[in-house]
Amino acid sequence: MTNIQTDKVLDAKGLACPMPIVKTKKTMNELEPGQVLEIQATDKGSTADLKAWCDNIGHQYIGTIEKGEIIHHFVRKGGEEIEEIKYPHLIENEELARKLESNEQTIILDVREPSEFAFHHIPGSISIPFGELEQRMDDLNKETEMYVICRTGNRSDLAAQKLTQLGFKKVFNVVPGMSEWKGITEKLID
Amino acid sequence: MSNKVAIIASNGSLFDAYKVFNIATASAATDAEVGIFFTFEGLNLIHKEGNQHLPLPEGKEHFQEGFKAAQVPSIDELIVMAKDLGVKFIACQMTMDVMNVKKEDLIYGIDVGGAVTFLDFAKDANVNLTF
Repeated sequence: MTNIQTDKVLDAKGLACPMPIVKTKKTMNELEPGQVLEIQATDKGSTADLKAWCDNIGHQYIGTIEKGEIIHHFVRKGGEEIEEIKYPHLIENEELARKLESNEQTIILDVREPSEFAFHHIPGSISIPFGELEQRMDDLNKETEMYVICRTGNRSDLAAQKLTQLGFKKVFNVVPGMSEWKGITEKLID
Repeated sequence: MSNKVAIIASNGSLFDAYKVFNIATASAATDAEVGIFFTFEGLNLIHKEGNQHLPLPEGKEHFQEGFKAAQVPSIDELIVMAKDLGVKFIACQMTMDVMNVKKEDLIYGIDVGGAVTFLDFAKDANVNLTF
């Protein structure tokens, strides 16, 4: 997998510490909470630095891919409003895991950003980022049971509400979501 | 991590400049409030002329090439970054008097103060560093 879709790409190649962090900080100011930045760097210390930086500032470190000399980091901007989960039809992670184990036919719709999905997702789940839901709803069958998942249950809550408004009949929000998922996962990258 | 970092810069070589300004900009980029007190040889780091020719420690001159090869930012760039990120620079008045340095000899946008000015900033800092 070479190109993971993000909201912005920062070229920090050839820059030594602390410039990759300083540039990332500045570029993050231009993004909205929830948007994803790809940072392309060559500084080998930048992986550990970016993880620590995200933990301290409250951004989500998604992952890093090394391709030859170039290190690609993916970071999702934090600071989202904590929204209450409103959609009433919930299913817990464990119950969804049991359905998967018993080989029930289950459609899992993962509404996180493409980079989050690329690093970590439930095998067989379908990736449709929340922002693309309306354009891509024709890919989905309104009559089948559908389990909507994100990282913590917020985006999937909004997605479940939207799908219901659009006429989907059997939608469930998976809580808490991928942040606590204990079952097997796969990724699209090496 | 901390949200307030107090640094004393008391040495004047190129190595010292990188130690001070790297930690300062990295801290400021991690949302810390950062203040640096430049005292004795450390004043060299913010001296308009002095900081253009910061010496390498004796016997370490060959590292000049390493700095180029590693593409580290110049001290001027780091100072601009640091200011841009809100790092506070305090020049030591007593050192200036002893060394006959005027405020005009120092880079623009700094404060001049005494020991207590720095201590007042450092008293509730979570990280205190001396270089």
